[in-house]
Amino acid sequence: MGKLTIGTFASLVGSYAMDFAVKLSEAAINKGHEVDLWLSGNATMLSKKGQKSFQDYSYHLKTIEGLSSTGRFNIATCDACSEARGYHKDDTISCCKRNTMDWYLASCFTADRVLMIGGD
Amino acid sequence: MKIISFLSHYRHGADILERIKTTKLGIVFVGNGIYHVGVSENGKPSPLLDKKDVSFYALIDDIETRGFKIEGIDKRVKPVSYEDLVDLIFNEYEKVIWL
Repeated sequence: MGKLTIGTFASLVGSYAMDFAVKLSEAAINKGHEVDLWLSGNATMLSKKGQKSFQDYSYHLKTIEGLSSTGRFNIATCDACSEARGYHKDDTISCCKRNTMDWYLASCFTADRVLMIGGD
Repeated sequence: MKIISFLSHYRHGADILERIKTTKLGIVFVGNGIYHVGVSENGKPSPLLDKKDVSFYALIDDIETRGFKIEGIDKRVKPVSYEDLVDLIFNEYEKVIWL
């Protein structure tokens, strides 16, 4: 088994790149691998507390919490990007860390594969 | 080096693929990149598919989301699932690109 680091600089929740990153993470975890998911830019909104699930809307909270419970999935959101968007530590979902980009860099160096998904 | 490249756009990104020099190249059509395998323009399929020594894949979820049928896509392209993508990333290729 190996470790996959995904950095997503995707658009807001509902963007294709965000959906892809979460689904690929889920497939990798289900195959026994380890995944680090880094959220930057507008993708940080994925880690905001209080998101509601509506039909035909992307909603990943349950998936992320489930993946986190495996102990092989780490998700972190960029502290600066989050603060810049006006939401703070206490407004972040519990299974998501808040870090500087050092976390993402360190994760890339310990990964077997790295995928960086740009904005869309 | 063995590189797998995701192509998530129909109108741009393909030019970058022309410039990649590698021992093994796989191109995975995802998102709107799927139109490369599903539509023709002026009666011709995507010129990208004529590229030599490349393995082509397309994500099944995205093929079907856009209303194409798996059996209807270009024969040079292999339909894959997310699970297949994980195996390709870990077992067949070394570096991953997103375009």
